[in-house]
Amino acid sequence: MIQPAFTPDAFSRRAVLAASLALAGSGCVPRADAGAVRLWAMSYEGDYSPMLMPVFTRQTGIDVDVQSLPWTAAHEKLLTAHAGGAMPDVMMLPAGWVGEFAIVGALAPVGDPSLVSGLVPATLDSGRYGGVHYAVPWSVAPQAQFYRRDLLAESGFAKPPADWSGWRDMGRALKRRRPDEWVFLMPLNWWDMLFTLAGQTGAAMLRDNSTRGNFTSPAFAEALGFYKSLYDDKLAPAMLSTELQDPFAAFAQGQFAIYPRSPAMLLDLHRRRAEIGPDRWGVVRMPGPRGPAAASGVSATLAVSSQSRRPQDAWALVRYMTSAPAELHFQRLIGSLPARASAWDDPQMQAPVLQPFRDQLEQPVATPDVVEWERIRIEVQLVAERLVRGQLTMAEAMRTMNLRADAILAKRRQLVSAGRLA
Amino acid sequence: MTRQQRTGWLFTAPVLAIITLVFVLPTLMALALSVTDYSVYALADWANLDFIGVGNFTALLSTPLFWRALGNTALFALFGVPMAIGASLAAALLLNDATVRWKPLWRVALFAPYVTSVVATATVWQYLLNTRYGLINYALSLVGVAPVDWLGDPRASIPAILLFVTWKIFGYNMILFTAALSTVPQDLMEAARLDGASRWGRFRHVTLPAIGPTLLLAAIMSVAGFLQLFAEPYVMTQGGPAQSTVTVLYFMFDEGFKWWNLGQASAVALILFVVILALTFIQTRIGRRFEWL
Amino acid sequence: MALTNPRRTLRAILANMLVLVLTAVTLLPLAWMVTVSFMPRGEANSFPPPFLPSRWSWENYHELLVRRFVDGAWFDYRFVPALWNSIGVATIATALGLLLAVPAGYALAKLRFTGRDRVLRFLVISLIVPGQVAMLPLFLMFKELGLVNSYLGVILPSLAGIFAILFVRQAALGIPDEMIDAARLDGASEIRIFRSIALPLLAPIVVTLAVFLFLASWNDFLWPLIILADQHRYTLPVAVAAIGREHAADGELMMAAAVVTTLPVLALFLSLQRYYMSGLLGGSVKG
Repeated sequence: MIQPAFTPDAFSRRAVLAASLALAGSGCVPRADAGAVRLWAMSYEGDYSPMLMPVFTRQTGIDVDVQSLPWTAAHEKLLTAHAGGAMPDVMMLPAGWVGEFAIVGALAPVGDPSLVSGLVPATLDSGRYGGVHYAVPWSVAPQAQFYRRDLLAESGFAKPPADWSGWRDMGRALKRRRPDEWVFLMPLNWWDMLFTLAGQTGAAMLRDNSTRGNFTSPAFAEALGFYKSLYDDKLAPAMLSTELQDPFAAFAQGQFAIYPRSPAMLLDLHRRRAEIGPDRWGVVRMPGPRGPAAASGVSATLAVSSQSRRPQDAWALVRYMTSAPAELHFQRLIGSLPARASAWDDPQMQAPVLQPFRDQLEQPVATPDVVEWERIRIEVQLVAERLVRGQLTMAEAMRTMNLRADAILAKRRQLVSAGRLA
Repeated sequence: MTRQQRTGWLFTAPVLAIITLVFVLPTLMALALSVTDYSVYALADWANLDFIGVGNFTALLSTPLFWRALGNTALFALFGVPMAIGASLAAALLLNDATVRWKPLWRVALFAPYVTSVVATATVWQYLLNTRYGLINYALSLVGVAPVDWLGDPRASIPAILLFVTWKIFGYNMILFTAALSTVPQDLMEAARLDGASRWGRFRHVTLPAIGPTLLLAAIMSVAGFLQLFAEPYVMTQGGPAQSTVTVLYFMFDEGFKWWNLGQASAVALILFVVILALTFIQTRIGRRFEWL
Repeated sequence: MALTNPRRTLRAILANMLVLVLTAVTLLPLAWMVTVSFMPRGEANSFPPPFLPSRWSWENYHELLVRRFVDGAWFDYRFVPALWNSIGVATIATALGLLLAVPAGYALAKLRFTGRDRVLRFLVISLIVPGQVAMLPLFLMFKELGLVNSYLGVILPSLAGIFAILFVRQAALGIPDEMIDAARLDGASEIRIFRSIALPLLAPIVVTLAVFLFLASWNDFLWPLIILADQHRYTLPVAVAAIGREHAADGELMMAAAVVTTLPVLALFLSLQRYYMSGLLGGSVKG
């Protein structure tokens, strides 16, 4: 095989070639669970999806392998899996990511129109990008505020006021009564509070066909100023959620009186009812500048990978998981609200604790439909964190937000002006 | 001669092939990538890939987070290297004392953290450093120090991670130093003592020259190591609070694998490489001046 | 005389005390990791922090390692597969690493062939380039080769062990040339010489290198994090990091995960520490 008279260079080149071919062949190791359709979902959705599967498997004979991703690592896992050709068959995507994954060709378009009809109006756009449906809306999770009845009553409040200034005044009253504790649980690395406020003032956060940041507008300044004031008044601690470690326990132990959160909180309240009984908490809509207004939230969708080798089974799984019975089952399990309109007629959805969320659905926050939005939101929140920590002034912070958004949107600007992107 | 030729290449070719495949080729490709605007749009369609020359490098220079990452990494190295090497040297000097018994036992015990997984022990330290329930704040409270918000205060986060890293790695250089210390000429030491040289004088003029080369090697390796911190902030702080623990490598990981800006990320990798190269060069020059090499 | 010198005695007591304290402080986090892993859920989150469990409980290990059937569905952290993956990946990476590095190191020390010095120089220069530079394009290459999300994709980069080659070469330089030349005169083939003369002499170094490679592979994090997509394929550090992101509140569970991740390598290190330590010293101190 090896000739005595060879030049080293030629030999090593051949060796490289041979080695790489051999490696390529042996790289295709069979999958551990080759018979199952693979589903990736985040957090509670990932943890509890296995409970939906026995029924599906019984009906269809298709096994499902559910993997749960942490939210904070989900974006890199999914995008890297797509780039590496290792996507699951079905994946959960928050509405804001659908455009991004559609544009890189990761998603198979929804073939059956019946999957995307009969939906709650608030979710209509969540699976669509450029006029094409790439994902089926699965659940909606608008933000509402959970409050401690007992702590509010001590200061003479039956429930939190619905307008900003009344809400902040209530915070101050509570703080005066219990100076060592906090009022609002809103860690500096959670974006939803700031974006709820911005949505309420009607701030358009991008401009020029969504190619530039627009964070110096008076509307955004109003929202950001109110956000900052809650920390300045020591109503909320300048903390990250990593530090808090167990936010629910902090709420249950009375370190916080108000916990703005999605309906997933209902699951925690049920699971950990020993820590805080049902008589000690309530839930109402988020306050707005002058009474309840828009609130941000995460709409979850289910999408099928364009790389899936079993598209039919994958779509069957999506159809099952987004059916009204399965969504209602999930609502009982983890609190998430169904995207299927017919599910809302079920008596289960008439429970009083769900009323604030039901009302909130009428007023969702509009989010810009660009693939860079997720990243911009993270950057804006990071700048807001530095503002709250006193490292930047309001003017500097808003200018920095614009700069960062502009930098992230540079490629989009170039493609739009070249006419290669709408 | 031919037989040696043949066997020589037979023995080295396989590993050279792999090195070429997984190291040389990709390194050259990194150079190529760094002059393109490979982004998520290029992942969608190669037609969206453009040659932009040094565009990534100039863009990085005007990216505040990149400078922040560089600054954080510099802080890690600036404080971490003396801290880690100081701890190693102190432990080695202590172990080198003639009166200390069961030396092999202590050596192994002090080295143990080094062989553990960074991810696992960083997780352990995350809890040790907890503000309310952590053992470290508890120990501090016993001597009257108020709780420190280790991983939540942007001013405490780097010291907190350095504390962990020092604990994790000091055993390695300690072993090297104990070996070097055993080569310190005892007769010279005795002569210095008889001449009435102070403890510091003996260390400065007898011990230090003997362990100089090892010290230099340790410094070079430590600097390179601290410039490549990734798992610690990834596990303990996710780069926070207020991005105070975003290191260059963390920034590269986020740019590359979270947002898929491979052009930008490759430029970051190359800059890191140049920095490490430059620092190694400078340290070697300093070493030459002291005739340690 | 030394024993009667009071200053010397005091010094001895002081030095030994200091060593003892230093060791205790160093081992404390590892000991705490073990004790907390046996605490009932929630016990570590109390003040003052307890050091020993109120009762020793296996529940954290049980939750971590045993599949549970809850309300008609299986729940699984997939930690046992991660343990097997780590064992498999580290074992194969070690075996292949030795297979590649030991002959190469020997050849670079003892065989004369054209290009040898150039190869050597190339290897030394390559040491300066940090591996992360290659990481991003390597992912793209591995995608083309179908190696993303495969065990081979994790192992392959670790086989480019330049340190390992130079380490073996350093040791092989010490083999006396006369022994090899004598065998050549007897007509032994080069491969036979390597097998029956060099390898036995290199045996201690090979054991040392094996421990090095195994530990490095076991603890490797960044590359497996990038290249492994599927939870079934995760190695232990990747699995610990993933579980930690979602279960930050469950300190006791995380400590159990940390124990499973660190204990095997600690045991390996302790049983082979003699080789490891001597390798560390032989490999990096001149003279």
